[in-house]
Amino acid sequence: MPTVLQNIFRFLLLVLFQVLVLNNIQFLGYINPYLYLLFILALPVQMPRWFLLILAFILGLSIDIFSNTIGMHAFATVFVAFFRDRIIKLFTNIEEGNNPTPSFYTFGVSAYVKYVVLMVLIHHTTLFLLEAFSIAHIWIMLAKILLSSLVTILLILGIQSLKTK
Amino acid sequence: MKNLINFLIQYSVVFLFLFLEIISFTLIVKNQDYQKSVFLSSSNSMVSGMYEWSNSVVEFFKLRAANNNLSEENTALKNQIINLQNKLSTLKPEVSDSIHFRIPPEMEYQFISAKVINSSTNKLLNYITLNKGAIDGIKIDMGVISDEGVVGIVKTVSKRFSVVIPLLNPKIEISCKFKRSNYSGGLLWSGQDYRYANLTDIARHVQLTLGDTLITSGLTSTFPEGIPAGTIEDFKIKESDAYYQIKVKLAVNFRTLSHVKVINYLNYQEQKELEKKSEE
Repeated sequence: MPTVLQNIFRFLLLVLFQVLVLNNIQFLGYINPYLYLLFILALPVQMPRWFLLILAFILGLSIDIFSNTIGMHAFATVFVAFFRDRIIKLFTNIEEGNNPTPSFYTFGVSAYVKYVVLMVLIHHTTLFLLEAFSIAHIWIMLAKILLSSLVTILLILGIQSLKTK
Repeated sequence: MKNLINFLIQYSVVFLFLFLEIISFTLIVKNQDYQKSVFLSSSNSMVSGMYEWSNSVVEFFKLRAANNNLSEENTALKNQIINLQNKLSTLKPEVSDSIHFRIPPEMEYQFISAKVINSSTNKLLNYITLNKGAIDGIKIDMGVISDEGVVGIVKTVSKRFSVVIPLLNPKIEISCKFKRSNYSGGLLWSGQDYRYANLTDIARHVQLTLGDTLITSGLTSTFPEGIPAGTIEDFKIKESDAYYQIKVKLAVNFRTLSHVKVINYLNYQEQKELEKKSEE
């Protein structure tokens, strides 16, 4: 499948899965995984940054429209998309001209795990901070951030490890 | 020259980033004024349509419980009818003029039944979308209840849908009182667990026991008096405090909420206008 089609398909699938299934999950009152971030994580490495930002905005806004949180997901997703290139450069050394899709195979296991963990943490922290809009419930919020990030990270790594090449 | 262009391209991305973030942030802040966002919220018909579809699937699995609830309610209502008929028949001979039979004006209510097609319980600000809107007679500020008790207040209405702020949202506080002692306070969600909320403004001289029932106070025009809101789960008071910290178990299970009634208070306009006039 060409990469473009694959990504469009992934976009639709992740948005639907997020709003119809994951947003209804409430485990222990703290865990609400945001798997849709996988779309940003799995875009090709050399994607133009301006295009990445716009895609992130559209993705976040789609989630927002479905979950009555106008702007929050858009903000967090654009925020994390902006730092994606730098984070990739931090953990890997992809040569010029190469344009791999981030995965265990192209990044190597340890680099990919670090990449996913950092991206998810940035995204979730931004998102939950925006949602609370205050630091009144700081411990609950920290617990929410950490637990939700953990579940999202495990889901993403699980899905990626199912991929064969 | 090339360096300069590269430099500008690099900065254009930063500008785009800032631009998109400012848009998002403006949307978030604007969203405080919730009415404005009805276009983008789940009152939006396409989104609502999809939720309605997904809900119809889920609802199928809840049919049994819903049926049970309905039949229980039916029986309770029938019992009530019989009781009332009995009372009526004993009263009949004494009443000669119809004036005595008038319903008190604050009790004239109609119920509009509606179905929940989207709701959340795990956010800090939760909302519920209903499948009835302006054409069914729903207006802003109407109260919403279920068979179990108080649900919330209508916040925005579109033609066919409406969005309710449930008790699980710190933006509303519902005035409640104890069934036993009539002391009233505000019921406010703590933001943590969808089963519990906090009751404020109960002074330390009030006698409390675990399990006391809370009902709506009827002091606002949104809810009539006597709708169950919850029971006391736990309470404590520090030596230095004047008010109790009371944890209330909510009467409504927001996770399984599906059928609700919207309260249409028929004398709302008249009461509001009169109150406004006396304030001037």
